[in-house]
Amino acid sequence: MSEVRLQVQNLCKTFGITKAVQNVSFNINKGEVHALIGENGSGKSTLTNMLTGIYTIDSGHFILDGKEIHPKNQVEANNEGVSIIVQELGTLSGLTVAENIFLGHEDRFVKFGIKNTNAMNREAQGLLDKYGFGRIKASAMVDDYNFEDRKLVEIVKATYFQPKIVVIDETTTALSQEGREELYKQMNRIRSEGNTIIFISHDLPEVLRMSDTITCLRDGVYIDTVKSSEIDEDGLKRLMVGREVTGDYYRSDYGEKVSDEVVLTVDNVSVPGQIHDVSFKLHKGEILGFGGLSESGMHEVGKACFGASFDRTGSVTLADGTHINNIPSAIKHSMAYTSKDRDNESVVMNQSIGDNICLPSLDSLTSLPGVLSDRKMKDFANTYAAEMSVKMVDTDQFVSDLSGGNKQKVVLARWIGKDSDILVLDSPTRGIDIKVKQDIYQLMDRMRKSGKSIIMISEELMELIGMCDRILIMKDGAISGELMRSPELDENSLIAKMV
Amino acid sequence: MAGNTNTLSKEEELKKRSHIALLRSLLPIIGLVVVFVVFNILTKGRMVQKFSMAMTQIYVTMIASTGVFFVMTMGGLDFSQGSILGMASIVVCLVSKTSIPLAIVAGIATGAAIGAINGFFYVNRKIKSFIVTICTMFLFRGIIKYLTSNAPVQGSAKLIMLNTDRMKLICMLVVVVIGFFAFRFTRFGMYLKAIGAGEKAAKFAGIRTDRMKFLVYVLAGAITGFAAFINSIKVGSVTASGGNQVETQILIALVLGGMPISGGAKARFSNIVIGSALYVVLSSGLNMVGLSTQAQQLVQGVVFLVFVAVFADRESLRVIK
Repeated sequence: MSEVRLQVQNLCKTFGITKAVQNVSFNINKGEVHALIGENGSGKSTLTNMLTGIYTIDSGHFILDGKEIHPKNQVEANNEGVSIIVQELGTLSGLTVAENIFLGHEDRFVKFGIKNTNAMNREAQGLLDKYGFGRIKASAMVDDYNFEDRKLVEIVKATYFQPKIVVIDETTTALSQEGREELYKQMNRIRSEGNTIIFISHDLPEVLRMSDTITCLRDGVYIDTVKSSEIDEDGLKRLMVGREVTGDYYRSDYGEKVSDEVVLTVDNVSVPGQIHDVSFKLHKGEILGFGGLSESGMHEVGKACFGASFDRTGSVTLADGTHINNIPSAIKHSMAYTSKDRDNESVVMNQSIGDNICLPSLDSLTSLPGVLSDRKMKDFANTYAAEMSVKMVDTDQFVSDLSGGNKQKVVLARWIGKDSDILVLDSPTRGIDIKVKQDIYQLMDRMRKSGKSIIMISEELMELIGMCDRILIMKDGAISGELMRSPELDENSLIAKMV
Repeated sequence: MAGNTNTLSKEEELKKRSHIALLRSLLPIIGLVVVFVVFNILTKGRMVQKFSMAMTQIYVTMIASTGVFFVMTMGGLDFSQGSILGMASIVVCLVSKTSIPLAIVAGIATGAAIGAINGFFYVNRKIKSFIVTICTMFLFRGIIKYLTSNAPVQGSAKLIMLNTDRMKLICMLVVVVIGFFAFRFTRFGMYLKAIGAGEKAAKFAGIRTDRMKFLVYVLAGAITGFAAFINSIKVGSVTASGGNQVETQILIALVLGGMPISGGAKARFSNIVIGSALYVVLSSGLNMVGLSTQAQQLVQGVVFLVFVAVFADRESLRVIK
């Protein structure tokens, strides 16, 4: 078991003058799941991106089975026996499933300059069937499938040729429970075949459960490699943060009575093909959770509440009788929304932090009616960026420079500045490290206590259980169960209602 | 992006980046000065002497550029500007025989109407803006040719009497000052930049993006419709080639002024003013040194390409809507 597969030797990578990876050395063995952990920006992805040819190596070596490799792109990496499943969507739109699977390796199907599409589709379908993804059709356009299924296509693409090393970079946060189970199954298969998995995840229980060995990086520097059987979650947090993580993670109260005052009533809301006949009430000071599989429709519920759904029927009504049918009226009546698709739907990427924070509040940032005041905008942005402790140079910095956690802080700063009373938070901690997660949980707890109401939609069952007064479980576009806050609540009771 | 770790060095890196940004933002002004000096040397000072003549070209370009600037900030393009100018000029000339104020209004209305057609197909039918505007460019060019097939459309004599530099300068200043104010000090400008920098997120921040996009095309048409009035008092009549290639002139002017071709938060209003001036100095300079039309186009093409390459915002590069 302990035969070395990959030696990482004195690896360095700088971006400009930022040292992303500094002189990192460690070994990865054959037939193991080797987890890489560390906070956002600790250099995990930079390291694996160099291994898979996405970035070039500044100095140092990767020695795979005794032979040095320096791939220049992903296809070369594949040929060396290294593949990667990335965090975000890694399939190309406009191509078929089969074309995606064999991207860069089409030569196998080319004779006399002509591609044999049938043979390619046949082989791709064979692979899909073998993996148990037979419902995905190799000849169909990849666009016909949802995020989840496309991830499955990527799993096939990255593993069908029995690579020596498969990098799984933060893939699980994008998957529902079902998709994760599918991925775990494949991970176990790859390991049992004697190959190696480099597993990057922020979900520490998952890391402990799935991996054999864990290497921790912090600020681009190698910290330690430990056996997962010899460490617990707190030990990992200590390694990552470099000090004891103290204080409450989730909220700790139980048995508090939620107010009877209803702030939002959702009545018979349907969105064609997404959700049907969803009704519920949100109370003042309540954190209402929505859980379910990714395609259960729970994400659409958030959009529907915020007036962002296309073709919605039914009604969303505030306490004062106002109907919410579009985004501007939702914002005007003190509602806020953060999307699961943070980069596209939450932050305006190529705009400054300041403008992002001020955008919904411009009405109140004027000197004369209709005339914006630069000073007021600046003060406003600084105040709320500071309140959320956004890590930045100043508010003129572009959002695209920030890490995922900081982007989410900018979005939250925007709505705190707007002083919204009803917040719809879809996957608020997706892909965010534990430190920022803790900040967000504490913020939610504070808001709840000050009488704000929160709808929290999440694929992470633990955070729903830890944070919500009440959890509604969605299944096939409808509410399939309701669970109240209780210390006895566990993941299994949620999963039972999800599938 | 993983990897940006060391906060101290990150600040330095950002400082370095802001130096590059500063250099980029100064390039158009430096370009303007250099081009101006070079042509004056080449023409032995003739350019300064004939400065007012060169200036006559700037009015229409700068006014029409203001509308296109809004469109481009939002991430769109507009290739129909030349045809809008031609069509609106015909309308201005025809109506000028009745009343001059009415002619101005009619020109603006014509431009707005064509802009509304662009906006409708772009927003409601979800066709990419450069496809839509290329279609309307050809469509209205055809109508212009049809209307002018027998003889150029003549404006009334009163129209040409208005052709003074003061008149044109005032008109231009009115448009530019109002445009600047709206862009810099009202929500209008913020919303445009937000749409250009991330449309979906802008929508989720409460901006009525579809309505905004439609109205900006109408506005760009209306502004060029107003420019048609200036154009008409300058030339007095419209031929089949009236307004021809104005869309490329505007595009070149804006890009020379430092406008990022994909729009967004890096658009600056100064792009219009400096760009139009640079374009006019460049084209009249090339003319004065006696270059043939073909050679002039060649030089313009090269300069255009260089500036696009310099100002392309590669971080946010994507297909233009």
